[in-house]
Amino acid sequence: MTAEDKSLPSRRARSLANRVILSAGAWLALGLIAGGLMLSYLFRDAVERSFDARLDMLMDNLIGAANEGSEGMVSLYRSMMDPRFDRPYSGWYWQIGAKGEAPFRSRSLWDQELPSDFSKNFPREHYFHLEGPEGQHLRAITRDVRLPGVDHVHRFIIAGDTSEVENDIAAFNTRLVWWLLSLGILLLATMAIQVRFGLRPLKRIGVALAAIRNGASSRLEGDFPQEIMPLVTETNALLDHNAAVVERAQKHVGNLAHALKTPLTVVANEAAAGDGPLAEVVRRQADVMRRHIDHHLVRARAAGRGSVIGSRAEVLPAVRDLMRAMERIYADRHLSFEVVVDGSAALAFKGDRQDLDEILGNVLDNAGKWAARRVVVTIAAADGRVAITIDDDGPGIPAKDRDMVFARGERMDESVPGSGLGLGIVRDLTALCGGSVALDTSPLGGLRVKINLPSAS
Amino acid sequence: MRILVVEDEPDLRRQLKAALTDIGYVVDEAADGEEGQYLGENEAYDAIVLDIGLPVMDGISVLERWRKADLKTPVLILTARDRWSDKVSGLDAGADDYLVKPFRMEELLARVRALIRRAAGLPSAELACGPVVLNTRSGKVTVDGAPIRLTAQEYRLLAYLMHHPDKVVSRSELTEHIYDQDFDRDSNTIEVFVNRIRKKLPVDIIKTVRGLGYRVEAPAGPDAA
Repeated sequence: MTAEDKSLPSRRARSLANRVILSAGAWLALGLIAGGLMLSYLFRDAVERSFDARLDMLMDNLIGAANEGSEGMVSLYRSMMDPRFDRPYSGWYWQIGAKGEAPFRSRSLWDQELPSDFSKNFPREHYFHLEGPEGQHLRAITRDVRLPGVDHVHRFIIAGDTSEVENDIAAFNTRLVWWLLSLGILLLATMAIQVRFGLRPLKRIGVALAAIRNGASSRLEGDFPQEIMPLVTETNALLDHNAAVVERAQKHVGNLAHALKTPLTVVANEAAAGDGPLAEVVRRQADVMRRHIDHHLVRARAAGRGSVIGSRAEVLPAVRDLMRAMERIYADRHLSFEVVVDGSAALAFKGDRQDLDEILGNVLDNAGKWAARRVVVTIAAADGRVAITIDDDGPGIPAKDRDMVFARGERMDESVPGSGLGLGIVRDLTALCGGSVALDTSPLGGLRVKINLPSAS
Repeated sequence: MRILVVEDEPDLRRQLKAALTDIGYVVDEAADGEEGQYLGENEAYDAIVLDIGLPVMDGISVLERWRKADLKTPVLILTARDRWSDKVSGLDAGADDYLVKPFRMEELLARVRALIRRAAGLPSAELACGPVVLNTRSGKVTVDGAPIRLTAQEYRLLAYLMHHPDKVVSRSELTEHIYDQDFDRDSNTIEVFVNRIRKKLPVDIIKTVRGLGYRVEAPAGPDAA
């Protein structure tokens, strides 16, 4: 096992709910076992006490019935009134003995004799366990009594079979175990429900974070319990801070662009007006500077934007705004810009609106430059992504030249104004946004640009 | 043709004025948004070149005020902000075209020419009236292919008239559009210029409409096919 494996606990242990349920379950089991043992002990104690009380009562009965018979022998002047003392090996026995005499026994003892060790002196009441005939477990009470008119002590013993008691206890224990088990399962189930209910806000946070991650929302929204409210507040503050930092950086980048571009225009135009090697070098280098600025600003913007989670931009409004702009730019050409929505009109791009504007603006501008009459934009959802197709009825681009238009600074026709960066920027930006762009022949006769972007729906 | 340039950077402003003057336009300058807005509203221009990043009042606000005041002059905006969202907001504010810095002067001139043409509803860079052809791109005038030499003032006057074919243009309108604001205007000089042009052109296309002004009109007859 590598260090990495160790740092990753199993899925089960990583769940807060499972941790709570497991630990509570352990305590519950421990508590139920202790309670069960206690109940079992108390029951046994109560049953044994009642058994002993019965033995004690029988002993009183036996002593009361005993009298001195002929020749110093003990006899009973009334029977024990219990048939169990007469049935051989019934488990219930009495015996009256004295040192040096054959003991007087219940009929149930038949040919057996209960041990009575006369060398020991017992307290007035003494309970003990012994083994009876046929391996019976007996509990006995013994009492030494001097009968009236007798000069020596008789030892009275009453023994009863404890199997009856043991059976009661076993039955009780079985029922107890079942009850406790059911109780445990019931408690565990209620606890599990309770824990899930209690932890539901955390699950909601997870859902809300996922929504931010996939761009459906930009902050943690909704009511959360006060215990996790600090987490929500802090996360939102972090998100806001992140957005603010990116925005500030972008603002600086924009300011830098503005600051550099005006002097660059002046320098390039001054050089264009002049002749000679100096003017030529300035012209060339100014052009290189312009390309560097454009290229890196676009990339910096896109990279900055891409890391901001939670951004989404609806496609249709962006297309509409750009079309309005295109209609103005190409007002004298009387082009018709149309948009076709294939499916939901609320289709959104997972990313920044400005990036979307940049991608679509460049493609639409390119289409506008070349179209004869029509530019048609189709917005559709495809496999959970946004597919935007831009068709024009211009001359199109032959298949062999299509890779070339994506090259930086490449212009197919020098007579149509433009920096030549348009489609190159489109390819870079779509790639940075997690999308792609491809060229094809349009059914309208011109170029078809197919843009595929991640969806925020 | 009279152009207003609103640009705060002095070097760029100077270059713009020089280039526009070079191709026969009269150019007024403003160095900040407030001045630009005032001039735009109170003087007659055929096109305006407006920088977005201006001191005192930014270009977008200037443009919005102009459009609110119902000023219809075509406006070309200059911006360093090359994102489409910026272009869209500029065009939505009422610009007719945009140009992203850094730009080549030829491109700016082409855009300005196109804007003026578009405002006049003319489809081509070549304006023709009978045998007289005025090429706005090259600034040359030909009659049946033969070049005619005109002075800058003469060219401006003819170009303005040819941008508004079949429309009577008053002397004061001509004065407004072919002189900059600082020029000591005298409408009598217009008459002098018109006469000089008439002498240089083998066909007379400038008709005098008594009491109203001038109108370009293709000469009647077999030539005017």
